[in-house]
Amino acid sequence: MPLPHPPPRTPGVAGARLFASLPPPPPSPLQSRREVHVWYVCPDELNDRSQLDMYMDLLSPSERNNALSMNGPRLQKDAMLSRALLRTTLSRYSKIDPRSFDFKKNKFGKPEILWRSDDSNMEWPLHFNISHTSSLIACGIAMDVPIGIDVEEKKRKTTKSILSLARRYFTPSEVEFLAKIADSDAQQKEFIKLWTLKEAYVKALGRGFSGAPFNRFSIQLETNSRIQISKAPKACNDSDSGDYLSENWRFALAELNSSYYMAVCIEDNSRGFENGPVPLGLKVWKTIPFIEDTLVSGTDAVKLIT
Amino acid sequence: MAAITTGSAVSFARPAKASSVSSVSFAGLRKDNVAFPLQPATQRFTVLRAAKQETVDQVCNIVKKQLVLAEGTEVTGSSKFTDLGADSLDTVEIVMGLEEAFDISVEESSAQSIATVEDAAELIDKLVAAK
Repeated sequence: MPLPHPPPRTPGVAGARLFASLPPPPPSPLQSRREVHVWYVCPDELNDRSQLDMYMDLLSPSERNNALSMNGPRLQKDAMLSRALLRTTLSRYSKIDPRSFDFKKNKFGKPEILWRSDDSNMEWPLHFNISHTSSLIACGIAMDVPIGIDVEEKKRKTTKSILSLARRYFTPSEVEFLAKIADSDAQQKEFIKLWTLKEAYVKALGRGFSGAPFNRFSIQLETNSRIQISKAPKACNDSDSGDYLSENWRFALAELNSSYYMAVCIEDNSRGFENGPVPLGLKVWKTIPFIEDTLVSGTDAVKLIT
Repeated sequence: MAAITTGSAVSFARPAKASSVSSVSFAGLRKDNVAFPLQPATQRFTVLRAAKQETVDQVCNIVKKQLVLAEGTEVTGSSKFTDLGADSLDTVEIVMGLEEAFDISVEESSAQSIATVEDAAELIDKLVAAK
């Protein structure tokens, strides 16, 4: 597939190589509304000055200013890489130059693509969501449905105790579930799994943390690996079961590189109940944009928990 | 709407990144604290700080402890939590730390409108005064 003529490089950028303006597309495009693709970078591995300058070049002036206003060089680099990852990822699925995307925020502050009227080659609008940890930045992409993604280090230490955090922010049934776990490491891991799942849901919903308070919905990882999400029953309600939100939201939870939990959530209004809920299809790539893409799903690097 | 900043780390002129919903609640919060009529939102950064310095200092300490910031990292009233690298789990732990330190209870909707250390300190002063 011929690539468009690369735009002129800024004079004076020492050692800049002429990179093609579009990163390669993935081997397979998004097949359906139930497929999610995740692309991630590891900032600690990206230290080549000319590469970083080239990524910085992809950003809009306000993104550049924003990155530079972060506190310290590491956070500045992460903020820059986050935008470069987003732009290059979107470019793969739309054949639009990474520099060309404009973004806006919905009324709750969730970032979205601002499509132009001449972006007619897009049959279905792309949705994205980004998650950072200090050592990994991930960008999830879905076709035509809202998406949320959250990545967290498995062993992330909290300053507050797990149960005090759960009591403050989770539902009673989730607290009960965690309280039953005797081993503190196992309890911490289950907490992180629940946290990433709940975050992914709230981010997919796009209404901000207070739009779907964590203590108003419960997530349960069932023995058959299904993820169940339900509204927590109100205090005055005797019944055990809340309203089920599971019909409309699909989740995937995976262990990434044995070091992270990654949760993805998409909206699914497709009423596809033929054989029970269809699992969300997940593909994951590790990327050094323009340099190297490695498909990691289907290997030990990505172990599906659900 | 993209925030155009001057690029300098500490500046009252930088607009808060709060969404439109939360800037309404932020302005509403201030009306209770001040006796004189407020300037319209576009000019609000000329209003004097309402939070006590003591509160701001305490918030800075709690934030520094939670985020395990590098030696010599400056945290002041205008420091933004996101610029300090706080993610969602950090933020809820900071809120819990503030609740414990000041014996207050912060609602999710108020917590969401906090962008800077200053915002947190103002909310704390208000909640403490209301006890």
